[in-house]
Amino acid sequence: MEKEIIEHGFSFNRRRFLSTMSLGIGSVALGSLLMPDLLKGGGLEEEGLAPGIPHFAPKAKRVIYLFQNGAPSQQELFDYKPKLREMFGQEIPPSVRGTQRLTGMTANQASFPLVGSFVDFKQYGQSQAWVSNLMPYTSKIVDDLCFVRSMYTEAINHDPALTFLQTGSQQGNRPSMGSWLSYGLGNENKNLPNFTVLLSRGVGNGQGVYSKLWSNGFLDSVHQGVQFSKGEDPVLYLRDPEGMDRKERRDMLDKLSELNELSYQEFGDPEITAKIKQYEMAYRMQTAVPEVMDLSKESDDIIKLYGPECLVPGTYAANCLLARKLSENGVRFVQLYHQGWDQHGNLPYEITKQAMDVDQASAALVTDLKQRGLLDETLVIWGGEFGRTSYTQGKLTPENYGRDHHPRCFTIWMAGGGIKPGIVYGETDELGYNIAKDPVHVHDFQATILHQLGLNHEKLIFKHLGRRYRLTDVSGKVIRDIIS
Amino acid sequence: MHLKLRVFAEQLLVASNIFILFLLLFESKLVIPVWLQTIGRMHPLILHFPIVILLLAMLLEFFRFKPEYAGNAFYRNFLQGLLLIGALFAAVTVIMGLFLSREEGYEGATLTYHKWTGVGIFFFASIIYWVRNARWYKSLAARAGALLSVVALVLTGHYGAALTHGSNFIWEPISSKKEVAEVTLDQAVVYTNVIKPILEQKCTSCHNPDKLKGELILTDPQSITKGGKSGKLLVPGNPQMSLLLQRVHLPMEEKKHMPPSGKAQLTLQEISLLTLWVKQKADFQKKLTALPASDSLRMLATAFLQPHSQEEEYDFPAVDEDKVKALNTDYRTILPLARESPALAVNIYNAAAYNVSQLDELGDIRKQVISLNLNKMPVKDADLKSIAKFENLRKLDLNFTDVSAAGLKELSGLKHLQNLTLSGTKLGLNDLKGLLPQLKSVKTVAVWDTKLSAADVQQLQQANKGINIIGGFKDDGKNPLKLNPPQMTNASPIFAHTLVVDIQHPIKGVDVRFTMDGSEPDSVKSPLMDHKTVINSNTTIRAKAYKNGWYGSDMITFDYYKSAYQPDSGTLLAPLNRVHQAEGVKTFFDHKLGVIGANNPAWANNWAGVRDNDMAFVSEFKKPITLSSLGVRYMVEEDTGIFPPELVEIWGGTTRENMKLLTKFKAPMPVKGERASLRSVAGAFAPQQVSYIKIVAKPLSKIPAWHRNKDKRALLLVDEMFLN
Repeated sequence: MEKEIIEHGFSFNRRRFLSTMSLGIGSVALGSLLMPDLLKGGGLEEEGLAPGIPHFAPKAKRVIYLFQNGAPSQQELFDYKPKLREMFGQEIPPSVRGTQRLTGMTANQASFPLVGSFVDFKQYGQSQAWVSNLMPYTSKIVDDLCFVRSMYTEAINHDPALTFLQTGSQQGNRPSMGSWLSYGLGNENKNLPNFTVLLSRGVGNGQGVYSKLWSNGFLDSVHQGVQFSKGEDPVLYLRDPEGMDRKERRDMLDKLSELNELSYQEFGDPEITAKIKQYEMAYRMQTAVPEVMDLSKESDDIIKLYGPECLVPGTYAANCLLARKLSENGVRFVQLYHQGWDQHGNLPYEITKQAMDVDQASAALVTDLKQRGLLDETLVIWGGEFGRTSYTQGKLTPENYGRDHHPRCFTIWMAGGGIKPGIVYGETDELGYNIAKDPVHVHDFQATILHQLGLNHEKLIFKHLGRRYRLTDVSGKVIRDIIS
Repeated sequence: MHLKLRVFAEQLLVASNIFILFLLLFESKLVIPVWLQTIGRMHPLILHFPIVILLLAMLLEFFRFKPEYAGNAFYRNFLQGLLLIGALFAAVTVIMGLFLSREEGYEGATLTYHKWTGVGIFFFASIIYWVRNARWYKSLAARAGALLSVVALVLTGHYGAALTHGSNFIWEPISSKKEVAEVTLDQAVVYTNVIKPILEQKCTSCHNPDKLKGELILTDPQSITKGGKSGKLLVPGNPQMSLLLQRVHLPMEEKKHMPPSGKAQLTLQEISLLTLWVKQKADFQKKLTALPASDSLRMLATAFLQPHSQEEEYDFPAVDEDKVKALNTDYRTILPLARESPALAVNIYNAAAYNVSQLDELGDIRKQVISLNLNKMPVKDADLKSIAKFENLRKLDLNFTDVSAAGLKELSGLKHLQNLTLSGTKLGLNDLKGLLPQLKSVKTVAVWDTKLSAADVQQLQQANKGINIIGGFKDDGKNPLKLNPPQMTNASPIFAHTLVVDIQHPIKGVDVRFTMDGSEPDSVKSPLMDHKTVINSNTTIRAKAYKNGWYGSDMITFDYYKSAYQPDSGTLLAPLNRVHQAEGVKTFFDHKLGVIGANNPAWANNWAGVRDNDMAFVSEFKKPITLSSLGVRYMVEEDTGIFPPELVEIWGGTTRENMKLLTKFKAPMPVKGERASLRSVAGAFAPQQVSYIKIVAKPLSKIPAWHRNKDKRALLLVDEMFLN
């Protein structure tokens, strides 16, 4: 009897519990109808969407980023400021300078005299964009370019600013833009790395480039940037060792993959099949890379277009030509760095040389992509990590001066890839010191690049150490006005 | 309720009945002073009270005659009080509403319904209050009256809401979806399809026949032309003078700014559209296509009508993901255009592996392929039959393929093809002249590096205005470029006995001319580099490059160094600078030369450097050698404090312990402002057999007085030494 009472109590409680809870759960269900995202996670993987496919139809399929490492002076190249010449030697008004922090190199300077460009500017093309005489070739293609004169960044020194532009964070250890794109878009050509890096150096004062700039960060290492160097071995460790021919290599790989296959069957570790694939890709790269790197078949027209230096490995011109070849072969992101733009002093001499290094080849790359019908689907970007000050660093003479780092405004240009051609976006004030109209933050710039490649910068996410990461961190908006 | 209070309230109710009756009778003559307008505007605030109180009262009234309630004194008293208060609130609300309705902009059928149902409720509630204790008033009458009141309350509330929010406020989200009638651009009428939708979105919620703010109606052309209280709305052709745009451009704070602050504002695009429309005489009939193609209004309107045109919609179904995956191979990539898009893009790589079967295998996904990249593949005319089966192709890349005009005719069946690239093919002007008119949908064709000259491209463009013909760079010889200097291709400029000088130029067909006597090479007289010139001692070669159609290069100087012996091992006797370690003691004899710019650690590679102590090391030769000179190569960059050695000593002997000084020598010092350079200095002595040598190079101990670092120690950088 006692037992029955207890059992009755149990069943009664269970019944009551269930009926009460059903209403409770029902109300939660009702509430959740109004909150569609409540029980869903973010991120590509959590949504069950495999990365490697654009979120929406892309305008651009590939990017070539001509990074001008060291920060070219906008006042001498693209941002025409006649007022600076008029005010030569006058102190920069405190109202303009504001409370901006300065670098250790000029912070202790007793005065900040303004200095205008030593070189003249003219307007070109239908867009009537101002370009200085240092860029004769670029001035011929302004109608293919979109100048953004109102870029600004947060960092004031080279390394953090570079890292910020490339990875969206000043500290490093995050994936580079090329890695994000490789992750988000996948391979077009399975025989070449998806993200390649080419380095060159001009005569100007240089700043280092470090491999952390093309790091994959927390993404899979297949997304890491691969540096192509200028020597006989553009990709390190790719060549067969001496005494081994192609057939031997093939046989070795076949045997190796048999062995790997065996251990896969035993352990079922997917890393083993991944390894087999990587060996095979390396094998294919052994033929694909030399083919791409071979410049001997380029026509005379191409050599004249890019300039004679384009056949000298390791020069900017050669890297531009290679960039075209890599891009043409489906490499998603080709990152160039050209060092030597850090003109703290001796600016007129150094920037003239630097401009000569890059002007013809940069313009040639745009023209070359266009004449192959590739410019529409290839986004070309030219620019440095920040701008330079309107006041001089060090001694000011009419012939010689320098400019310090200036994160508050700088000029870049973009071409192709669905960016409006022949426009100038944004303005700086008449002293070229602050942005007067349409500021573009680095994250806005990054968001716009991702957008052109069919990626929503807010959805290109990777979860790492319990946090969701984006290239644009927690901000950034697409600059719609420069998108055609 | 206290009896006194109730009597007073009842009297008030009678009074308000009469007052309202009076107001209604003489409504047309009513003039509302400004301060009363405020009272009127509190109508939307107060109206919730009578609704709730009367609803509750009517509920209680409905059940009033139920036996269990009928005897309850509290129920009776509470209900009577509630009804009285409800009726009074209704009176206040009605009065306020009548005041409000006198303000401008309240007219039309909805207002009439709202007014009379509202007034009706008040009178009806009052009547119920007065007759509810009559003898004939029983359960049936109470229930009927209560029901009627509730229905009236709901109706009035609904009409009132419609007045404030617009008539379709409640159902709008699920009903109409604002079907912006999809029109093709050819049929679009500027007013009907562009201007009217803008007005409907931003203006007509106030300016409609029911609300008539400012006596202005913006729902039909007649009313728009007529204008409102402030006069004509439009001055066709003159947007600056048109009231419509004046009001839009007033500052936000201004009371007359339209749309009023708090409401959705016009976008810049919408304002431009309105402005341009007025500027073009505010025509209500004009079709979009009647405007010239480059007209701003037409371009903006086109963009307005096709906001999503950039995301192309495809009418074919998606194929199975696994099928696509299975068709991907090492040299054939098939990628979806985007998530949730059925479209696919196909790229083929590796010319050696290309075969038309790579295309034929794609039978199952043929419909879905919208872009096909065959650049640099040996595509033959016959293959174009296979390509033409990809019926939905938008983009086809055939750069540097073997196709000809005959084969390309197959492409005329591709109804969607927009972009075609044919650069680097063998096509001629006549080929393209025949071909292009057949490709009806094509918008761009790339024809660079074909047989076409720049003039041909222009001619082709003239003949095919609808297609963008992309030519490209072809050197016309009018702007010759300067050649870059030749390059040394010897593995190292350091040799042991003899060397065949190898200086080349990367561009084919370039002549390299050189001298060995220090003079400048001449384009005619100087010898051509023939790869047979042999040198056996330190030599300086100057060279220049020449080619037809180019300017000659700058002169370049190459220094070749003879170094007959290489030590077998060595030991540093004093440390090298932290950033100028290079390869340690091996640096001096590794046949690798450095370049200028070593003050930056990143490029210090081949430079061994010292500042605070001497550069000193011992080297050993397993077999004795006969030595007669030592050369030292160093960098000079006075600006950064890199100076030549102050003194170099070489010691030698057959054992390590027993070495004697063979010679010591100095290097010339730079002068102020000298450019950075790489130099070498040598010291000779009587031939001597040695197994061990010790070399001591002292950095400059006191920088000269003219230098900003005067009296400090200078940096000494050495990349190589030569033993002969």
